[in-house]
Amino acid sequence: MPFSKLDTAAVARTLSQIAEQPEDVVDAFFERREEVELQEPGALRVWREEGFAVRLAREGRTWLATRDAVEPKPFAEALRQAARVLPSATYPEPMLEVAPPGPIAAPELLDFPGVLSRAVRAHHVGFPLRVAVRRHRRWVQVVGPRWVPAAESETFYSCSAESSWGRYGALLPRLDAAAAADIAEAVVALFRARQAHPPAPFHGPAVLAPAAVAVLLHEAVAHALEADTLAQGGNPEAAVGVAMAASCLDVLDDPAAAPEGVRRTTDDEGTPVVRRWLLRGGVVEQPLADALWALTSPVLLPGAGRRGTRHLPPGPRSSHLEILPGEAGEADLFAGSDEGLFLPEASRGALDPLSGEFVLHLPMARRFRRGALAGTVGPCVLRGRVADLLTRVVAVGNEVKPAGAGWCAKGGLKLPVWATAPALRLEGVEIAP
Amino acid sequence: MSRTALLDEVLRALLRRHLTDAEVYVKRGRSRRLERTPVTETASISQERAWAVRAGNRRGSFFAAATGDLTPGEPWPEPIAGQSLELPEPAEVPAWTVPSDFDTPLIGEREGLRLLESLGRELENELPGARTLRAALEDGSSEAELANSRGLRASTRHRIATLYIEAAGPGSPAPTASLYVATREPRRFHPTALARRLADRLAVSASGAAPERDSGEFLLAPIVVAHLLAGILPLLVGPGPGARLLGARGRFGSDRVTLIDNGRLPGGASESPVDGEGVATREVVLVEDGIFRQPLLAWWQEGAADGEPSGCTRRAGWRDLPLPGPTHLYLKPELRTSVASLLGSVAQGYYLIDVTGPGRFDLAADRFSLPVCGFAVQSGRASAPVAGSLLSGAIGAFLKGVVGVGRDLTFHPLDGMIGSPTVLAIGLELLGGGSA
Repeated sequence: MPFSKLDTAAVARTLSQIAEQPEDVVDAFFERREEVELQEPGALRVWREEGFAVRLAREGRTWLATRDAVEPKPFAEALRQAARVLPSATYPEPMLEVAPPGPIAAPELLDFPGVLSRAVRAHHVGFPLRVAVRRHRRWVQVVGPRWVPAAESETFYSCSAESSWGRYGALLPRLDAAAAADIAEAVVALFRARQAHPPAPFHGPAVLAPAAVAVLLHEAVAHALEADTLAQGGNPEAAVGVAMAASCLDVLDDPAAAPEGVRRTTDDEGTPVVRRWLLRGGVVEQPLADALWALTSPVLLPGAGRRGTRHLPPGPRSSHLEILPGEAGEADLFAGSDEGLFLPEASRGALDPLSGEFVLHLPMARRFRRGALAGTVGPCVLRGRVADLLTRVVAVGNEVKPAGAGWCAKGGLKLPVWATAPALRLEGVEIAP
Repeated sequence: MSRTALLDEVLRALLRRHLTDAEVYVKRGRSRRLERTPVTETASISQERAWAVRAGNRRGSFFAAATGDLTPGEPWPEPIAGQSLELPEPAEVPAWTVPSDFDTPLIGEREGLRLLESLGRELENELPGARTLRAALEDGSSEAELANSRGLRASTRHRIATLYIEAAGPGSPAPTASLYVATREPRRFHPTALARRLADRLAVSASGAAPERDSGEFLLAPIVVAHLLAGILPLLVGPGPGARLLGARGRFGSDRVTLIDNGRLPGGASESPVDGEGVATREVVLVEDGIFRQPLLAWWQEGAADGEPSGCTRRAGWRDLPLPGPTHLYLKPELRTSVASLLGSVAQGYYLIDVTGPGRFDLAADRFSLPVCGFAVQSGRASAPVAGSLLSGAIGAFLKGVVGVGRDLTFHPLDGMIGSPTVLAIGLELLGGGSA
């Protein structure tokens, strides 16, 4: 842990000098990040950064001062910049000792392209694939004037596989044969759909695989229930109690249940995370809030503050979405005589927070009829309004799997997000080329 | 130890590890960021200190970067076999004077917040009931030094300010619009002009409809053409692909089309005498009067296509590998042609004022579609708002269908700064199905 020798008590004492009013939110956020990328053939890129941010928030206004080093003098300067004391005071320079970074090595990356290549060949296909694999590590220490939570760390991997007919990207808690098999399946599906035509405008049933469900609910539930997004349309606490989805849908955000390696006990503001019911029985129960939004209403609970970088203030975001399983088996999901579309993956989604209009981009899909999968169709788009679309969920699969991990880039905060989801069946959805 | 001596010492340390090709880059920067939403206000100040090293030999190479001070004793990673490293030789850099606005102080907290406030007020004045959802102003400056094992030494400075605004119009559901602009110095942002642009877009989105399918003359605002040019960059950067669009005798566009890239464009947001590898920048004419002259070539692409290389390697940040790309790529304006005269010449067609979403460009199939909004035009006058539409057609047809070019050159931060004046084009179509 790079911050184990940090004199957090001294930092806390110094911070207490700029917290003048009882409602002031003051903290120091220390982080070290490291990323190692291997891109075939043989391109190695490593970067490492560390620094801190000092924040003072008061009555809706936030002052943030950041530096690219963890050193006493810059820390005292940053305190002075964040503080609202006039004339500017001089602050003591706390001892800030951090463990020096060791040599960067990630031998586990070297084998993965080969493992992936073999996993693709196991599908009896072969095509050129440009693979880039990265290891992401992050260590975080938050210090407040009156509390010092334990340091947190995250390690995960990302992989992108690019071929002539599309790019597939994934976040992975581990680099192992199972991860390679999942990526291989996705890129082979793209390969097999390479000449498939987009479907004609379609209105009917759709079954979303767990990976597509995760993207759908990240956009349509998690983003829609972030306190700052809700505030664009009015008072965030007014959302509580609104029936937003079909009653069979239970959606939680639980950073403590995320995959090992990215599991958190506190958020990026040092607040303990909570197992948060976003939707219980389709009804909004607890929007996502950080420390500042929680100050605005007793209904909002903090614990979902996330920072994409120390250079930007935190915001309320989901970390690990959990969609609870239902009772539908695979046969139930694909039942019925109407032709439907099976959507195995979503490449991206977007939500307009004011209109509630929602778009899910699908790189390919498969038709199904009377319980059986049929032909493949090319890229298409699922559109709808959140309030309407989520009420169209008629069945929830009985098997959940880790799915839909990806990067979220809302508001310039690039964050990894994780999910555990079952498949869903929706009726009467609109899908167009 | 001076910065130059430090870079030399690091190069020697790398050489002692048999890394015969090496490049060291150090950067210092500072920025102020101000953001307003209807309920929050944030003022940030950041100081950046970082370095990047590329090193290798015939067998392999690595790229390493980090924050903090560079020391010769860094724990360098082991190079991975597979890619050797090529670096430019030193060459003379034409004289360049540091623009005076590089030395102006960063915008102050109060001044910046006042600018954002005034944007909100101006927007409300232009379109009663409209409001800003989020406005973020960033102002930054940086200095960098670079040295490589071939003896190249270079220093660069940059100054850039960006402004991002998201706004909602009146009504329910409220239409939304956003804009992102960049300039060298934030005091050049003009709140009234920006508010007017947002208000136009919101008003059109609220009341406009999409035609089923229509063609005619298309007057394209600079932002629309800039997005089209950004979409076809793969044809203009690097050896080879530009030839795909060439017609008879190397014709790439109509004789109104002259495309230029210039890394040292005076007043440009990214103006610099050298690129991210220390190679001298210069003006390169890519297309002249519709005839394709050459693609944008980095020094290491010399000979891979006809044309002279130039300093066109960009570093998106200290963490990023330098890669070729445009710095200020623009369609040359015609200084005698006003936008009003172009609009007056449209008998039946459309004046498309903004882009409302990401475009699709299929360069292999020579097709594009871009979500746009604007007005239908009859006899030189706007007759109805248009929204939720896709401007669509063949890429080659667009370039060859340019029949008029205005004088209002403006740059937009897309993939590099991409500039264009207003353009009158034929041979395109407007379809329904774009985002409003």
